[in-house]
Amino acid sequence: MMKSGQTNIDPEWAWSAYQPEQPEDWTQRQVAHFYRRCGFAANPEMLQSGLQKSPLQLASEQISNRQESPQVEKVSASLARSVLATADAKNLPAWWTHRLLNTSVPLLEKMTLFWHGHFATGAEKVKDAQLMFDQNQILREHALGNFGSLVHAISQDPAMLIYLDSASNRKVHPNENFAREIMELFVLGEGNYSEKDIRELARCFTGWEIRRDQFYFNRFQHDFDEKIIFNDTGTFTGEQGVDLVLKQPAGAEFIVGKLMQFFIADEGLQHPELIQPLASQFRDSGLETGALLETMLSSNLFYSDYAMGRKIRSPVDFAIGLLNSFEGTTNLLELNRGLDELGQRLFYPPNVKGWEGGRNWINSSTLLARANLMQSLLVRDETRFGGGSLSQYCKTHGVTSLQEAVDWFVEILLAVPLSEPKHSELVQRCEHGSGSFENNLRRGLGLIVSLPEYQLA
Amino acid sequence: MSLVRREILQLSATGLAVLGFQQTAPAFWGQIADNAAGQENILVVVQMTGGNDGLNTIIPYTQDEYYKQRPKLAVPKKDVLKINDEFGFNPALDGFSELLEAGLLGVVQGVGYAQPNRSHFESMDIWHTCQRKTGDRSDGWLGRAIDQLAEGESTETTGMHIGNRKQPLAVASRHHRVPSIRSIEQFRLQTQEKDSIQAMRSLAQSENSEADSLLNFVQTSTTTAIDVSQKLQQVSKSKNSNMKYPETELAGKLKTVSQLIASDIGARVYYVEIDGFDTHAFQAPAHTALLRELGDALNSFAQDLREKGMQERVLTMCFSEFGRRVAQNASDGTDHGTAAPMFLMGSDLETGLIGKHPSLTNLDNGDLKFHTDFRQVYATVLDNWLSCDSSHILDKQYESLPLFVASR
Repeated sequence: MMKSGQTNIDPEWAWSAYQPEQPEDWTQRQVAHFYRRCGFAANPEMLQSGLQKSPLQLASEQISNRQESPQVEKVSASLARSVLATADAKNLPAWWTHRLLNTSVPLLEKMTLFWHGHFATGAEKVKDAQLMFDQNQILREHALGNFGSLVHAISQDPAMLIYLDSASNRKVHPNENFAREIMELFVLGEGNYSEKDIRELARCFTGWEIRRDQFYFNRFQHDFDEKIIFNDTGTFTGEQGVDLVLKQPAGAEFIVGKLMQFFIADEGLQHPELIQPLASQFRDSGLETGALLETMLSSNLFYSDYAMGRKIRSPVDFAIGLLNSFEGTTNLLELNRGLDELGQRLFYPPNVKGWEGGRNWINSSTLLARANLMQSLLVRDETRFGGGSLSQYCKTHGVTSLQEAVDWFVEILLAVPLSEPKHSELVQRCEHGSGSFENNLRRGLGLIVSLPEYQLA
Repeated sequence: MSLVRREILQLSATGLAVLGFQQTAPAFWGQIADNAAGQENILVVVQMTGGNDGLNTIIPYTQDEYYKQRPKLAVPKKDVLKINDEFGFNPALDGFSELLEAGLLGVVQGVGYAQPNRSHFESMDIWHTCQRKTGDRSDGWLGRAIDQLAEGESTETTGMHIGNRKQPLAVASRHHRVPSIRSIEQFRLQTQEKDSIQAMRSLAQSENSEADSLLNFVQTSTTTAIDVSQKLQQVSKSKNSNMKYPETELAGKLKTVSQLIASDIGARVYYVEIDGFDTHAFQAPAHTALLRELGDALNSFAQDLREKGMQERVLTMCFSEFGRRVAQNASDGTDHGTAAPMFLMGSDLETGLIGKHPSLTNLDNGDLKFHTDFRQVYATVLDNWLSCDSSHILDKQYESLPLFVASR
């Protein structure tokens, strides 16, 4: 992957708001693209109403919507209570996927997932379901807000401190783990600090402990002596240490680059001249994530060929995306077992770097697991679409033959067009099925989501 | 194609007429070539993810400095499994101790690289690609070896990664998709209809997608996955040994490797990982358990290979992205360090400690100084074990090390 060098994309054009020249230039394909990236795919109704809005409206609505609908919140809270009563973190993924399937604020959930991968903390080590749940709430609370506030909150979050071994940090021999990761993975990016900065910052965090599952400052263990970090000298506290890291200019580039990879394209856009303008905006705004995303998600670049179909679907996008496209519901425990096989177990990221995404999602094992998960979900009667069977769902949308259904599925699901010969082969192979109409529809849908084209978003 | 196989086939093409074998020879030579295909050297790489504490693995039990720097973490002298008068294994490594006694283990000491990077991820990438961040990292050192070994062949099983997580960059290759499999049993499409598999295979095939594009990547990965899964369905269960492995993840993976080797699937390189070596806090119990898992799994693997008569064909190499600081930290753990030992298991090895243990008093900012570049180990293994051209794979000729007994 290119990390530097020149691109022939004009940054000014790239970040200007996309304005379709003709109304007919604003198509369902683009609205579907928006929701695949800024949520977990759209159902036919969302696609229709999206067409009535402008690209800018679509983005700014999603960014200002930071409150889940009361109905969803109510069910989610009661589910959370029952999960937390079991005290077993293994049940948390089912809680979150329920929310992902029902949310009225998709971008907020998508960003919460982004930060979960960014400030990756694994329940394997933390174990305590309540602490993992509380962290998830912190991520959601700040998901579209101020990045600095989020970093401060996460740096004193018990789940994070347990995960990075900083639950008790004493002045005689500070533990460097959290100090290292806040620089390398959370705020600045590798190479934008020295080993000495890490050691000095670790001293700022001495005395930071957890007591009764709460953050606690133990002044008897804090190193009150002078430290030198990034050429600043002072008797810095942990909070001041975090501020010093946040003040480093390199952070804005790092976060913008990562968000571009998450929202626009896996590969090929990490050029300084493209990142620069947004990074400046991000810095000038005092690190406001919402404002940054508004520019990014309504831009020419976002709706360009550099972006469309240039991402590999994450397992969550792969499975939740299919269900959401046709208002599907299914057995959540089975779904989450599947996500685990696919390489994305929520609340259990692989390590502190989180899910790296892109080509890393794909290997022969995860590809077979993708096909197998769909196979197992689609043969279940429990898997319903719009509350009923797939054939009923198709009928309510005026789709009555297998050929029409295949065309409709392909149009809604695929981010990249299927070549004509492949499309006809697909139709032919679907019509070849010998089961009931319902079974043939489900088999056809299973084939479509196993296509290489469906793995792209 | 292997050298032996290639030589035999070339010979059969050119020399047969001279020998007057025109009628019967091709089948005869073909058979020899096939047999030779089952006799090639195999490399198994074990990645110890997280940064193994080399100092508590190979312990300098006579040095006061070790006990001074690690008041809580040092292993008491009486518990060390002695290798010689100065060094010994961590007591959890009786597996290694037995391998050493059996003449199957070599420990390369003080391995690292210049200007070490203490980020797990960056350091691991350096070990995987042999390139710094500024270089081209589109493939890994084993991926390049796989391309060389499989030159001209369409096989998708020259290299295999055992595990279903993110594939290590080390096996990324330009011309082959190295399959990742968790276990032979689970590596199959769960569909009753043969039709569906054929449909998926056919629909996945690429028409004209750009070779480097994401779509092409997914297409070729999909066809590889389907082909390899069908190939693996034929792997006979009878090749499963009676050998009882410990019930650990690493042991399970090595057992799968042994079954695949016995089934002549044709892979020359296998890659497995064991995670958890990032021991910043309360290191002792975690590290002990990891070393036990490693030593016991390797020991069982060695016994299994011997029982199946494959011991001489398999070399196993273990590495970690860096060692740890000499001094312990506040949480009874150790922070990221530099030089550490690598481990080799096989029957043609110089056994015991190879190279000097790094000094505990002549440090670089609290870290051990390396004296052997990891690429020297790679080069030696590539040239002498896999018969690859290491200078091509590593972009430079590295000085080789005396890892193998001279007679081989």
